[in-house]
Amino acid sequence: MTALFRLIGVGGVIAYRALFNWTTPAMFIGSLLVGPIFQLLFFAYLGRQLGVADDRFYIVGNAVLAASLSCVFGGTMAVANERRFGTLGHVLLSPRSRTAVFLGRVLPYAGNGLLIAVSTLTIGSLLLGLRMPVGALPALLLTLAVAALACGFFGLTLGAVGLRFRDVWVVSNVSVALLLLLTGVNVPAAGLPGWMRAVGEVLPITHAAQAARRLAAGEGFAAAAPALTAELAVGLGYAVLAAALLKIFEAESRRRASLDTV
Amino acid sequence: MIGVGLLLHTKQLSRSSFEIATALIVPVVQATLAVYLFRAGDEPGRLLEAAVGAGLMGVWSSVLFGSGGAIQRQRWQGTLEMIMLAPRAPALMILPITLATAVTGTYAMLATLLWGRLLYGIPLHFAHPLLFLIAVPGCILGLGMFGLLLASTFVLMRNANALTNTLEYPIWLVSGMLVPLTVLPGWTGPIAAALPTTWGARAVHEAASGGPVWPSLGICLAISLGCLVVGALMMTYVERRARAAATLALA
Repeated sequence: MTALFRLIGVGGVIAYRALFNWTTPAMFIGSLLVGPIFQLLFFAYLGRQLGVADDRFYIVGNAVLAASLSCVFGGTMAVANERRFGTLGHVLLSPRSRTAVFLGRVLPYAGNGLLIAVSTLTIGSLLLGLRMPVGALPALLLTLAVAALACGFFGLTLGAVGLRFRDVWVVSNVSVALLLLLTGVNVPAAGLPGWMRAVGEVLPITHAAQAARRLAAGEGFAAAAPALTAELAVGLGYAVLAAALLKIFEAESRRRASLDTV
Repeated sequence: MIGVGLLLHTKQLSRSSFEIATALIVPVVQATLAVYLFRAGDEPGRLLEAAVGAGLMGVWSSVLFGSGGAIQRQRWQGTLEMIMLAPRAPALMILPITLATAVTGTYAMLATLLWGRLLYGIPLHFAHPLLFLIAVPGCILGLGMFGLLLASTFVLMRNANALTNTLEYPIWLVSGMLVPLTVLPGWTGPIAAALPTTWGARAVHEAASGGPVWPSLGICLAISLGCLVVGALMMTYVERRARAAATLALA
């Protein structure tokens, strides 16, 4: 069991350092910390002007969504960059469980996502003058962590798709844009058509944003728990889906000898 | 030469599934988001503004990521040395690329308008239809020239990607592409006034919804021309420095 945890934890961190090696502090801060704050401000001012919802709606929603950026792209990179760097074959030759190897890779990106979400929430609240109930902060942190993890597994699912299709970055870019629309982060769910709400229900972020908004409104953990549980279920669902797709596509790519060519 | 280069690079960009998907799908998603936001805000009369605004956002994204990575892309393709060896000013070689990124951005404008018309029944009743057909290419020309300044600035910075990722939302916000400038804090006014994106977006919005188009378009092109001159000077400086230090393929 210790060896398994070591594989997931240490293996995940080493893979993170190797596959995320092109970043620099400036790039990290610019892309992942500053970018989401401007996204938050954009929608907060648009929402103010249109009178759609108050600042809290946008600050909390976009802070939760901020976690998705690094997690979705990170989860995708965890698989896609192995192929790009020519190391995918080595990973798949390993006698250890590939499911554990790949699921472990999500953890550092989820940590990144949590950091980004917390920084976006803090800076957004300071800039727009939102006061959070102090008692809600631990539960809010838990909600952001669950959202980040769910997004990471969602990204890993997209990365698994990358084993079969070449243009996985198109899929990731479009998915991130769709999260903006379908999760009810910027448009109140009541304003979206039924089918969009239904799709949003099975996407990460949707339920976490609901939970976080309840916590920020001071409604307490009990009120937020059902949405938080739903987010956890969505995250677990994507973890299972990612593991299954990785297994299927790995077997298929071995059978067709198309691991590095597809 | 600029015309042929523009055609070549537009064709090249149009063959990239990534560029096309980004230029078509992402702006359509943003237009859909804008439509539902404007509907939720009881502003159904402004849906054309939402579609035009989302299209402009797509044009800016295309220029920002396309021009910002113009030099780097040539480097990856192994064509940068050949471009710089040409007996022409470096700016003349790069300008068609940045103009092409702006032209590719028009896919976004077309996509959001068509999407709005076909799916949401947004009437395409432009206040000045002919001026709209002038304002959009004018705005695109302006942004293409601004793109040269971006390309030359970004080549000096190792971490240009960080800046491109960071500059998308601020320019959307400060240029009034979707959010009116009147709701922004006063200190953003001077920044907005100095950006060609602000005046280009204003000209397109005025052509769509009413207002004096020519002054805004004129200011957009004047600022962009200034950016072109500064960008050209910078490009020459960067090229000489890279030749002297033998870092053209490495910098």
